Amino acid sequence: MSITLDQVTKRYQGVPVVNDVSVEIGEGEFFVLLGPSGSGKSTLLRAIAGLTGVSHGRIALHGRDVTHVSARERGVGLVFQNYALFRHMTVADNIEFALRVRRMKRADRLARRKELLRLVALEGMDERLPAQLSGGQQQRVAVARALAHKPEVLLLDEPFGALDAKIREELRRTIRQVQRELGITTVLVTHDQEEAFALADRIGVMNLGRLLEMGPPGELYTRPTTRFVATFLGAANLLLGHQTRNGIHFGNTGFDGTRSHEVVAVLRPEEVELAPSRGKLDSRYLAAGSVEEILFTGALERLRIRLTRGSDEVQLARSNNGDGSFLEVTRTQPEQREFAVKVGQDIAIGFRRVHVLPTPLSSFTACAANEAELETLSRHPWLVELATRMSTRVSGRIEPALANGDIDCAKMDRHFSGAAVIASGPDALKNIECLLARGAEEVFVLPADAPSPQRVLIHWADEAARAATLAVSASLLRHVSAEAVYLDIKPEHTPATERPQGMRALLDARSEAQAVHGLEMRTELHFGDITSELVRRLGESSDQLLILGVSQISGLAQRFGQLLAAIPRAPLLVVYREPESIAESQAAVGMA
Amino acid sequence: MSATGVLTKPLRQPSVLPGFGLTFGFTTFFLSAIVLLPLAALVLMASRLSFSEFFAVILDPRAIGSYRLSFGAAFLAATINAVFGFVIAWTLVRYEFPGKKIIDALIDMPFALPTAVSGIALTTVFAQNGWVGQYLEPLGIKVAYTWIGVTVALTLIGMPFMVRTVQPALEEVQKDLEDAAETLGAGRFHIFRRIILPTVLPALLTGFALAFARGVGEYGSVIFISGNLPMKTEITPLLIVIKLEEFDYRGAAALGTVMLVISFVMLLAINLLQGWGRQRYVRSAR
Repeated sequence: MSITLDQVTKRYQGVPVVNDVSVEIGEGEFFVLLGPSGSGKSTLLRAIAGLTGVSHGRIALHGRDVTHVSARERGVGLVFQNYALFRHMTVADNIEFALRVRRMKRADRLARRKELLRLVALEGMDERLPAQLSGGQQQRVAVARALAHKPEVLLLDEPFGALDAKIREELRRTIRQVQRELGITTVLVTHDQEEAFALADRIGVMNLGRLLEMGPPGELYTRPTTRFVATFLGAANLLLGHQTRNGIHFGNTGFDGTRSHEVVAVLRPEEVELAPSRGKLDSRYLAAGSVEEILFTGALERLRIRLTRGSDEVQLARSNNGDGSFLEVTRTQPEQREFAVKVGQDIAIGFRRVHVLPTPLSSFTACAANEAELETLSRHPWLVELATRMSTRVSGRIEPALANGDIDCAKMDRHFSGAAVIASGPDALKNIECLLARGAEEVFVLPADAPSPQRVLIHWADEAARAATLAVSASLLRHVSAEAVYLDIKPEHTPATERPQGMRALLDARSEAQAVHGLEMRTELHFGDITSELVRRLGESSDQLLILGVSQISGLAQRFGQLLAAIPRAPLLVVYREPESIAESQAAVGMA
Repeated sequence: MSATGVLTKPLRQPSVLPGFGLTFGFTTFFLSAIVLLPLAALVLMASRLSFSEFFAVILDPRAIGSYRLSFGAAFLAATINAVFGFVIAWTLVRYEFPGKKIIDALIDMPFALPTAVSGIALTTVFAQNGWVGQYLEPLGIKVAYTWIGVTVALTLIGMPFMVRTVQPALEEVQKDLEDAAETLGAGRFHIFRRIILPTVLPALLTGFALAFARGVGEYGSVIFISGNLPMKTEITPLLIVIKLEEFDYRGAAALGTVMLVISFVMLLAINLLQGWGRQRYVRSAR
């Protein structure tokens, strides 16, 4: 491996800017770090270069641990967005800077300089000053300068940011050529997905300091696993559907009433088909709608389609603010010729392909006993923030059972969509039990004034709940800039001979989180009473969220009554999976 | 205007201030009335002396001693300022610390203070029984009433010129440049010498010239701390004042002319040096 990052974390004043990033970049690979501004990608690059120290984790270059090696001695080449050329030096002096530092002989320097100038197509520019060159040429000089000392790794920090479109494309081609010719491992940071697609062997998408997903460009585009990547790489319509044994269903069409659970599906604008009526669709029918807006962009036509309100209304994941739901659609010239549309025209919508995200948190359903409480709960600042970040909806549901202890929840119908959200209070535990019995698989318990968490503690009480808890934690943590800590608590009197067993379980959990869910978490093993350990840990600061995994509803009160009473102000997320339902949902995802 | 007219005649740049003719007229008028005319009068006054009289005045050993002190101390003070003014400017540009605004404001104090006040204050501190002077005395270091005192006074007076000219130049040295040099393998000294210094050198020279010029002309703060011993701690401006008090206007003018010529030559030299440096820095920047 050329570059190995292991759990790299960088905090500024306690806030993680780069959060537990682990990645291995292969020899000669062109790796692009893609993310919006403020996602921590530039900080990560500077950490690889050695210009920023890391708070936690290790960095290795070609198997050599360089975590504490200065930038001087790391021998990487770095190219900056603003070129950072030495303006008082000629092109030749700039390129030879690293060689002079290394006291290379004059003749060797000259030969190396000529070679580099040829590589970046700037022959004969040796004696120019940077001020006499155009932006594109200056950046070429910067690339040549960064390569002069034959670095093992080339790092590029938004190198095309300050250039106009045409030069950008030209320079992009040059950099790709140079990289191929030298076979040098390269990491490029950008916020431009087109650039990432054009250059990368592999893209790593970052958001909120986390490396969310990695993969070849095509793979990431067609099969993203997170909604952030789905919407950041190209346009995407996120739909809420129901996954059943027989496939995925949107709205109420073809919903056969069998056991199902809610999922988020990605529908790319180019996978949508429009037709005058349902019968003329070549693909599966999705919904009816009318054309709201048409934008002609040359090769493609971009449309906004308003979904017709009705019984078979498709649920968009993004909550609509009252004025209707819209679908983004792009159509090619042949499609436009086959069926031309006008603004306001009624049409039938079909879909050729959808991709179901493997995320267990699809949407939120706030539950309360009456209208007023429901109103307060659905406006909870952190819930709203989370829903916005996840671009999903918060729907409301009046649950009379929450107020009335006499209603037997187990006897009511079992149908629940999304994660349940309830307010914390003395009845919280009973309410959790009730909602789980009604079919909810995740229950959020939010105190009225809960701040957004800086740390998420993960613990599962039953081993059977492990996979589900990890999946939900990963799904949540992608949208929260908090650090994750997994707590394993073994009885205090665990004999010394069995303690290594606990250690092994801990490491297994960490690698499962990493490999299956892309979740980087720290791990802690404690010996003691579960309740008192959790209470102690939660008491450390008020901005922590506890994720608690269980696989049995019965006996919740005995097991966690004390815990909930001790931490009335801490937000809580209970994850529950019946053992058989785990197997079932995995089978269903596999089918899709 | 015809199309060819547009092409052949250079376009006039519209500007907030009136055109070149008027501004140039103002420039020459003001320079003449305020700078050149009095200087001409000075030279004219000196020219009333015969050659032998003139040289007798300006080559008098007391006069030569005073030149040495005036220009020597001013040069030394400007050099000290070049180093420490740079450090102060660096601190103010690169670091954030509590009280930064106050220190920033303190820099300008010597600008505002009447120089005589600075002189008296320095004398109080550095006299043999002063706050600092009493500790330096046993070490055999005398500050007040020696050339060291003169240098200290001139350093104080010249410091803000240095800091204020270097500060904006340092702000232009982006951190990226240092980072780039570091990844290329350069050590701290190398980065300072090859990257930072060349970039701020023009500003450093300007600051040096300003501090030096100010030091040569300084009078108020020096006379209190120098002790004014002829041949030892007597600066040229003081000698001129003494001549004026003796109603020897021509002698005073002769000394003034010498100062004028030396100052002009030195400033011109520094300016040329600086121009050369700047040219190298942004040669024909388009």
